[in-house]
Amino acid sequence: MTNTEALLEKFIEKAETEQTSCIKIDKEAFKNILREQNFDFVNLNTPFKSFNKGCEFDEAGIKNAIVGADFAIAETGTSVIDSTDEKIRLATTLAENLFIALHSSNIVAKLENIVSYMNEKNSADNAYLAFITGPSRTADIERVLTIGVHGPVSLTCYIIQDL
Amino acid sequence: MKIKQAVKKKLNDKILYTNLKNFASNYKLSRQNALSGLDFLKLRNDIYKSKDFSKEEILALFEEFKQHVEKSGCTVLHAEDGLAANRLITQICKKHNAEYVVKSKSMTSEEIKLNHYLEKQGLKPIETDLGEWILQIAGEHPSHMVMPAIHKTRQQVAKIFEKHTGEKIDPDDIDKMVKIARKYLREYYFKATVGITGANIAVASTGTIGIVTNEGNARLSSTVPPVHIVLVGYEKLVKNFSDAMKIIRLLPKSATGQNISTYVTWIKGSNPSFKSDTGNKHTYYIFLDNGRLSFFEHPFLKDALKCIRCGSCANVCPAYEMVGGHVFGDIYIGAIGLILTSMLHDEKKAKEILTLCIGCKACSFNCPAGIDLQSIISDLNVYMGKKYFINPVKKFVYSAVMKNPSVFKTAMKAAAFIQKPMLTETKENLKNLPYIPKEHNFRKLPSIKTKTFSELFKEKKLDEFKSSKKVFFYPGCAVEYFFPEIGVSMVELLQKTGYQVDIPKTQVCCGLPAIHAGDGQSGKKTILKNIKYMGNPDEYEAFLVLCPSCGMAIKEDFKKYTLDYIAEFKKSEKIGKKVMSFANFLKIQNIGFQCDGNIKYTYHTPCHQGRGLGFMPEEFLKEIFGQNFIPLKDSDVCCGFGGSFSVDYPGISSGILDKKIENILNTKADCLLTDCPGCIMQIDGGLKQKGINVKVKHLSQILNDLKMIKN
Repeated sequence: MTNTEALLEKFIEKAETEQTSCIKIDKEAFKNILREQNFDFVNLNTPFKSFNKGCEFDEAGIKNAIVGADFAIAETGTSVIDSTDEKIRLATTLAENLFIALHSSNIVAKLENIVSYMNEKNSADNAYLAFITGPSRTADIERVLTIGVHGPVSLTCYIIQDL
Repeated sequence: MKIKQAVKKKLNDKILYTNLKNFASNYKLSRQNALSGLDFLKLRNDIYKSKDFSKEEILALFEEFKQHVEKSGCTVLHAEDGLAANRLITQICKKHNAEYVVKSKSMTSEEIKLNHYLEKQGLKPIETDLGEWILQIAGEHPSHMVMPAIHKTRQQVAKIFEKHTGEKIDPDDIDKMVKIARKYLREYYFKATVGITGANIAVASTGTIGIVTNEGNARLSSTVPPVHIVLVGYEKLVKNFSDAMKIIRLLPKSATGQNISTYVTWIKGSNPSFKSDTGNKHTYYIFLDNGRLSFFEHPFLKDALKCIRCGSCANVCPAYEMVGGHVFGDIYIGAIGLILTSMLHDEKKAKEILTLCIGCKACSFNCPAGIDLQSIISDLNVYMGKKYFINPVKKFVYSAVMKNPSVFKTAMKAAAFIQKPMLTETKENLKNLPYIPKEHNFRKLPSIKTKTFSELFKEKKLDEFKSSKKVFFYPGCAVEYFFPEIGVSMVELLQKTGYQVDIPKTQVCCGLPAIHAGDGQSGKKTILKNIKYMGNPDEYEAFLVLCPSCGMAIKEDFKKYTLDYIAEFKKSEKIGKKVMSFANFLKIQNIGFQCDGNIKYTYHTPCHQGRGLGFMPEEFLKEIFGQNFIPLKDSDVCCGFGGSFSVDYPGISSGILDKKIENILNTKADCLLTDCPGCIMQIDGGLKQKGINVKVKHLSQILNDLKMIKN
C-alpha cells in the first residue's frame, strides 16, 4: 500500500466513525453525479468549476450543498474548508445535507501537517476556515448522541481519485 | 453550614445520581479509546509548556494578536473586570441597534453573568447551544462546563420545552426535541443583529481565534448576524498554530472522549457579511482580565491559567459525581472550578467548596494541560486556613495532639481504654456508635489496638535482626495504632528475604491530614519533627511505606514544607527519591510468590498508590494468583475514605464507597487486597456494616503467608 492509499484508508476509517459517508470516485463519475444530483449550491475548484451555482439563503435553509475541501486530515477524518466566502459559510451551515468533495492527494496525516496551510491562509487580513468532521451533533439531552442540531443532518464525502 | 445542606439535597437527587454515574462510567471508556496509541503524558506536557507565560509574555501575545486583527478594521478592547466587559458589550449592541443577541456557549460569559446584565439593559440574549438554551428557558445555570444540562432528564427537558413552546412533547423522543430546538432557534440567527461567541484558542501569530463545537451554533452565530463580539480570557492566547493544534488534539478527547469535535472554526478579522451595512462584519474582541493578568505572576495559581476548559476534572472526580456542579463549583465547576472560584469570584464561597475535594488526585492525572489541580487545591486550603480559621476541634487535634508524638500516643492509649465497651466480639472493630447521626454509621470503624506497632516490633524482637542490606520502614499512624499486624507481617516478610528493617525511634504523623485540612502550620511542624526521626537516607536501599498517602506526603510535601530549612530539605529530597510501596520493592528485588489455593482475589488501587507512588501492582498479582486474580472495574477510583473527608461529608463518602462495593461484588472475589490502611478502614468497614462476607486484606498480610520464590 502506498502512503497515499494508507492515508486515504485511515481518513475513511476515522470519518466513518463520525457518521460521514465516504465515496471513492473518479473524475468522470463525479461529473455525472454533479449533473444528476440537483444541488442547491455548488462551490468547487477546477476541473469542476463550471458546475458552480449559488442560491438565496434564509432561515428555511437549503436542501443540500456541495463544496470543495482544500485538505483533509487522516488522523481525525476531518475536511478543511476555506469558508472566507460567506456563501460557503451559509451553505455549509444551513444545508440539511452537506456534501464535500476532496482529492485523495490532499489528505495529510496529522493536524500538524495543516499548520503551514493555516499560516498561509491566515496571512491575509481576514479568514474563516472550517474543520468539519461529520454532521452536526449534540448529546446535551441525557448524553444521547443525536445527529443534526443547528447544522447538517448528514455529511457525505466524495473522494476523487486523482486527476 | 449552607454547603452541608446543599450537599444533602443533591445526595437525595436520584436523577442526578444516575446521570452522573452513567456518564462517568462511559466517559472513562471513550476517553481511553480516544487516547489509545497516543503518548498522553508527552502531549499534555507539550500543552503545559506551550501555555507557560509570564504576564509580560501574555501581554506581548495580546499586542501581536491585536495588531493582526486591526488590519481588517476590527476593534480590540481590554475589559478590567466583568462589569467593564458587560458595559462594553452593551455599548456595542446599542450602537448597532440590536434587540436580539444570539450567543454560542461561553463559560467566560457565565463568569461575568452577561445574560443577566444584557436583559437588564433591555436586550434579548438567546443561548443557542442546546444545553445552555434548555437551562436558559428553565432559568438555571450550567452544572458542567461542557455538558451544561447533564443534571436534567429527558422527561424534565420535555416539560421545559412544552412550557416554552406550548407543543405536546413525547419525553422519549429526544430526536424530536432536538429538531424542535433547531427549528425554534433558527429564526433567531436571522433576527439577531449581534452574535456573541467565546473562543477556545486565540492564536497570536496571526490573530485567529479557534472555536471548538459540535452543534454548529457557533458557526451560525459568527456568520449570520452582521456584528460579531468575541469574549475571550487572556489565558486563551497561544503563540502559533502548532501549539493550537496540540490543544485541538487533546481537548475533545478529554472533554467528551471524541477524537475531534464536529467543528473547529478558525476566524480571523472581519469577514464578508451580507447583512452588514458595509458588506463586512463588524467584529469586536473583548479580552477579559478580571484578575487573570495578575495571576500570571502568582507562584501557585499561575498554572490554573493553563486550563483549556475541557471539564474533564469533573468527569473523573468522585465527589463531583455524587453532588454535581451546582454544589461542586460555583460558575466554573469541578476541580478547576474550585480553583477559579478562589481566583475570580467570591473567596468565602470558594473556601466553602474547597472542602469538597477528597484529595484523590484523579483530576491532576487526567488534566490534558498537565495542571496539578489537587496540589493547587491543597495550597488554597492552607491559604484559607491561615486567612480565616479552621474548625477549632481539628485545629486542636493537628496542633496540640498529632504534632506531639507523646501526647498523641497518650491520647490513643486513653481512647483504646475508653472504647473497650464498644468493641465487637473479635475486638477488630467498634460497634455502631451511639449518639452520632445515622449517616456517619455507614461503616464499622476499626478499633484502636492495645499494643502499637512500635511496641510489637520490640516485643517480637524484630529489632534484633541485623543485616548489611537495610531498608527503613515508616509505619504511619494507621499502622501504628489501628493495624499493627499489617506492619508486623511486612517486617517478617522482609526479614525472610534477608533485609534488616529499621523504624523511626518515635512515630510521628506524616503531616498530610493537617495540610489537607488547611492547617499548614501544624503540617509543617509535624513534618520537621518527623524528618528528625527518619533514618539517614544514605544507609538504606529504600524507604518503605504501607500507606501510599504517607508515601506521597514524604515524597512531595516534605520538600514543599522544608523550603526554609536547608538540611531538612536536603534530607527530604534524598528520602523522597527512595520512598516506595512495599510491593514495588518486592518487584524490584525480583521476589515472586506461589499460591496453590483457590481463593479468588481482586485489588483496589489506593489513590496515592497509582497517583503518587506510581506503582500499580496488578501485573505483580496476576503473576502470583493467575486465574484467581480478577481485576476490579475502576480499581484506581477513590473508595471515599479521604481521611477526615469521610467525617465531614459522610453522605458523599458512603456514596462513593457504595459504587466501590458494587464493583467488588461484581468480581465475585472472596478477598479484596489493597495497599492502604485508610482504604481498609473504609472498605472493610463498609462491607462489614452491610454484612457482606468479602475479606479485606493488606497485600503484606497475604504475601507473608505464601511460598516465596526468588527469581
